[in-house]
Parts: sequence; C-alpha cells; structure tokens
Amino acid sequence: MEVSFGITGKGYVLVAADTTAAHSVIKVKNDVDKIIELNPHLLMAYSGEPGDTVQFAEYVERNIRLYQIRNSLPLRPPSAASWVRKTLAQSLRSRSPYSVNLLLGGYDTSDYTPHLYWLDYLGTLVEVPFAAHGYGSYFALSLLDRYHDPEASLEEGIETLKRCIAEISKRLVVSPERFKVKVVDKDGVREIEL
Amino acid sequence: MSIMQYNGGSVIAMVGKDCVAIASDLRLGVQSLSIATNFQKIFPVTDRLYLGLPGLASDVATLHERFRLLTNMYTIKEEREIEPETFAQLVSSTLYEKRFGPYFIEPVVAGMQKTPSGGYKPFIAATDLIGCLNFAKDFVVAGTASEKLFGVAEGLWEPDLEAEDLFETISQTLLNAVDRDAFSGWGAVVHVITKDKVVTRKLKGRMD
Amino acid sequence: MNSLTERFATTGYAAELKRAKDVLGEEEDGLDPMWGSQAGFGNLASGVVKFNIPTVPDPSAFLRMHTDDFADPSCRIKIKHGTTTLAFRFQGGVIVAVDSRATAGSYVASGTVKKVIEINPYLLGTMAGGAADCQYWETYLGMQCRLHELRNRERISVAAASKYLSNLVYSYKGMGLSMGTMICGWDKTGPAVFYVDSDGTRLKGDLFSVGSGSTFAYGVLDQGYRWDLTDEEAQELGRRSIYAAGHRDAFSGNTINLFHVKEDGWKFIGNYDVSKMHYDGPDNTGGYAYELRVEGKSSANPPVTQ
Repeated sequence: MEVSFGITGKGYVLVAADTTAAHSVIKVKNDVDKIIELNPHLLMAYSGEPGDTVQFAEYVERNIRLYQIRNSLPLRPPSAASWVRKTLAQSLRSRSPYSVNLLLGGYDTSDYTPHLYWLDYLGTLVEVPFAAHGYGSYFALSLLDRYHDPEASLEEGIETLKRCIAEISKRLVVSPERFKVKVVDKDGVREIEL
Repeated sequence: MSIMQYNGGSVIAMVGKDCVAIASDLRLGVQSLSIATNFQKIFPVTDRLYLGLPGLASDVATLHERFRLLTNMYTIKEEREIEPETFAQLVSSTLYEKRFGPYFIEPVVAGMQKTPSGGYKPFIAATDLIGCLNFAKDFVVAGTASEKLFGVAEGLWEPDLEAEDLFETISQTLLNAVDRDAFSGWGAVVHVITKDKVVTRKLKGRMD
Repeated sequence: MNSLTERFATTGYAAELKRAKDVLGEEEDGLDPMWGSQAGFGNLASGVVKFNIPTVPDPSAFLRMHTDDFADPSCRIKIKHGTTTLAFRFQGGVIVAVDSRATAGSYVASGTVKKVIEINPYLLGTMAGGAADCQYWETYLGMQCRLHELRNRERISVAAASKYLSNLVYSYKGMGLSMGTMICGWDKTGPAVFYVDSDGTRLKGDLFSVGSGSTFAYGVLDQGYRWDLTDEEAQELGRRSIYAAGHRDAFSGNTINLFHVKEDGWKFIGNYDVSKMHYDGPDNTGGYAYELRVEGKSSANPPVTQ
C-alpha cells in the first residue's frame, strides 16, 4: 500500500514517499525513489498505477525542462501545478488515462514562499499546508491538524514527519517500512536520512 | 457513489430587490475524507457576473479555465463585457458540446443584467450537467446539498429583499442546508451583487 | 441436530437442567450457547425473543439487497451509520468518547444520537454500525447483567459481560447484524475495555476506536496517549480525538459525549459541540482549529533586510 506525505515549514517543503514496489502480495523492490526532481526548486511525489507513475513523472519532468530551456526561466510552483493538473485532466478523458496521484512541493525563489499542492488522478488540484496520499492520509491528516506548524524549523518539521510515519507503522496493516524523504528550500532539493 | 458526490459541495443563488446573491460552501473532499477548507467554487466573470461550479473538483478547475478563455475571447471580439443572459447561453452550449461525455458540473449563474433603458435587473440561472437552462425568478440551487437547499430556501426566501436582507437569507439558507449534508460545509462564502458593487463575505460555519 | 436430540432426551445434562427449570417454573429455554460454556450458567432465565424472518430462501441476502446503500445508493432502506467512537484505559480509569452524528447516505439524519449506552452504573457500551442493533442488544445485555447480579450476588465482570454479548451476536452471524462496540467498565480486576463486533471478534485492550472516523481519532489518540495521563489530560485527549474525527470525516461530528469510568462507576463528563470545540474550545480558552492555531503564521522566509 503506497503512502506519501508533504509538509510545509518555514521556508521549505518536506516530501516523503514509501520506497516499495509491489506486485500483488510481493515486494519486488524496497528502495524505489518515488520523488522526482522536476527542477532545482520543485519536487513531485507520485503514486498509483504501476507503469503510469514513472511514465507520467518523466513526461512532466521533460516538459518542465523544455519550458526552462525555451524561456530561460524556471516554471514557478503555482504554474507548474496548474500545468500538471491540466495534463492530468486531459488524460482523464483520453483513451488511456494516467492513474497517478501526486504531491507537488516547490519553493518559489521570487517570493520566498514554499508551496505544496495535492493532485489526484482526476485532475483535482488544491494548495494545502500539509497533504498525504494513500491510506496514510486517513491517519496523518488528523495528526497534522494537531501538530503541524507552518513556521516549524526543518528539525521540527522532520519530527512531525516522523510522527506521521510512526502512526502509520503502528496502525496500517501493510505499512511500508522505509521512506525516502526530500526537502526543497531556497538552496534547492536535497535528500534527508531519517 | 455517484461521481457528482465524489468531491462534495453546493452552490445557491437568490434574487433580491435590485440585487442578486450567490453563495457556496468551501469543502473539498474525497468521498468521506475532507481534504481542504479553501476550495473556491464561485468565480467572478465580470464585475457584475459570478459563476458557481459545484460538482467534480477537476471539472471545476477545467471549466473555470475554459470559461475564462471564452469570456476573454468574447470581450476581445465584441469590445464589451459579456452580459449574464448571454453568458448563461454560453455556459449551456459549452456543456452541451460534451453531451456524450459530460463535465460533471451543474453551473449556477448570477449577475445584474443590463436593460435596454440603461438600468440593471437581477438575473440568475442554473443548468444541469449537459446544459439544460433553468431561468428562475426566485432562487436556484445545485450540488450535493441541493434537496436540502431547496427545502430551506422555499421556507426563507421572499420577493424584493434588500441587499442586506438577501445576504442574511442566503447565508442562513446555505448554512442550515449544508449542516444536513455530509458532503458540504467546512465554511462558506457569499457574494452579494448590486449594479455598482459586489460585497463578498466569508461565513463562519460548522467545521464538521 | 444435536440440540434437537438434546431437547427430547430424558437423560444427560440438558435433560437434568430442563427438569430443574420445570421445578423452578421457568418456561423458556435460555439460549445457553450464549454463555459459551453451559456449565454454571444453566439456570439463566428466559432467553432471547424469537425474531420473524422473511420467508425467502436466503434471508440475509434479501436484507442486504435492500439495506446496503454503499453497494447500491438507490436501495430502499437506508440504515443509519457513520460514526467515531473511542475508549481507552489509563491510570485513572477508562475514558469513553463518541460523536453524535447519524447519516443515511449523504443525509445527516441526526446530530443528537446517544452512542454511549449505559448498561448499568459500572458498564458502558459504545455504538457503531447499526444503531438499532447496538441499542437493542446492549440494553438486552443490561438485563442479563442485572440477572447475573441477582443470581450471583456480585457484579458481572467486564470480561463476562462482553463475552455474553460476543456469543450472542455470534449466534446471529451471517444474518446481517452490524455492530462494532466497546464494552467498558470497572470490575474486580480494575478498569477494562473490550472490543466486540458482529463478526464475533472480541478483544481485550487498552485503546480502541471504532467507526468511519476511527482512523482520524487514532491519529491524535496514539500520539497523545500515555498510561500515566491525569484525569484532565485523559478527558481532553478523548475529546480532542473525537473532534479530529468530526473535523476530517464527513460522516462524524455534531457533538461529543464524554464519559469517565472510575472505581465507583461511570460518570458523564459532558456534551460538547464540535463546532464550539473548533472555534472556542471546551472552556472558551481557545479552539482546537488548525486555522486558529496557525493564525498569522507564514511559511515564507524572505531574506531579512537591514
């Protein structure tokens, strides 16, 4: 069962995703990176139909790259989110829609604001201070209502993220054991070891 | 579970004396799970015309973008802003274009319509998801709480309400109706449109 | 078949019991299997009333066809459901907290449902699933608990009461009963919580939450739970957890009912409006709302300019 979280804090967005690739009851691989770096200040965690996920993520990555090459300017997080949403919404009414759920985290270098977007395969887009996909959302959202702080330092943000992971490890029947965590802030994207 | 109920949300519009009001809740959910309390469903089209889009959240965004394009094109071509009645027809035909694979939205239009004499008269309309227009003289409702909205509005609405009274009536109608609907609520927003201004207020509603 | 032969046999344990009942003037056979073992409880008074069952080949499938609004939203009978209930044990007893919303489809049918059933002064049962099923059987359990007291001159243990309910609902397994309940109380062994559901599951534990909003309640409850919580902290945690579920789950909310079970029985702490908890909190000292907690805060970090 796939789980991903996104948490904003003071000047950063934390994105975490489980690292398992599963086929029926088998864990095929347990160190998969499901968080793609779209540009130096933009991250995207993806989950959903195997195959669709990576194809779609790479399609988005290449188009965002293309935009940057053409315009010599990176796409800012709100615009990138809007474009991804449009792509998913168009895909929904095509012959073979992408079944991909996304969390898009970015740091807007022009107004120094972190942004987190929740997107689902239908093309629903909403900006939120914290988000989750998969069954994890049923446990983590109430927890984050209680503990999330938009002005938390990175250390505090990681502590809150650890709470979420601890909670799903405790309650979810088939909880993932490992998470990959990435952060995006003014300095760009980097991976964090929990 | 119907696709019309997947994300939840409701919109209502009412006619008053030289004014109209349009209001919606702010919930975005995925079935029983509430995701966001700030999901806008009502969008300004012109200074005197608002459009409410309750239904599938993906199509809320898609149609908002589409109508923005269409009204901008209209404004450029005609060198004037679109009138509510014209816009209602535009909404209807845009939806019917997708007759065999519809947008899952039941739009509500509310605005002040220019009359030949130079004055303004209130205008509201709603359509179903494939564009059947319903011009009402009192109120229109749409969304997951529509039955409940009908019930409360039938009881509270009266003709020729002044702007402030209309605000009170539409607010009470919406708040009480969404409290009886599991998929609507989580705050509300009301726009009261008169010929020379729009007053927008956020309502403090139940957050469960 | 076994029970049939037993009923008409003239020797053996069952027959002896039947004769004893004749002497005592108890006409109806108690449903012994409910006690799990027949030993020791064989003299129970009259059993469960018999229910009329629709005369179709598969009664439970027939019932399900007309009541399962999740599979078929247009079904004619919508049974009320959707709930958040929780109970946990701690140093100071047991906290029981529930919401009060009942929904039929998307319609909020009631916001004032009593989801805690007061079985007796020492026992509480919570209600999730079929409202009528829980109400009826937990009230019935109350009667049986009283009879137990009269017969044995001591209060029934929480374990025995919950086992009675568990065996009772298990005897109806597959017939469409729908209950997820926690039997909470204080007995010789101290505070106790048992989870019992209509599948026949019965679990002893420290902390349970049941219903559509249970995951949200767990999220807050697990993070704040400790055995050595004070009474006030524990009550606040129960209230806060149900609020969290009421906030996030569309099928939970309206009001919170809070109970505290101590050595001298349960006490009703209060009824709290979820909306008031959101904006003002239990004693008007500040709401639980996320929006209020983070008011004025911003995640932006513009460079500091001198």
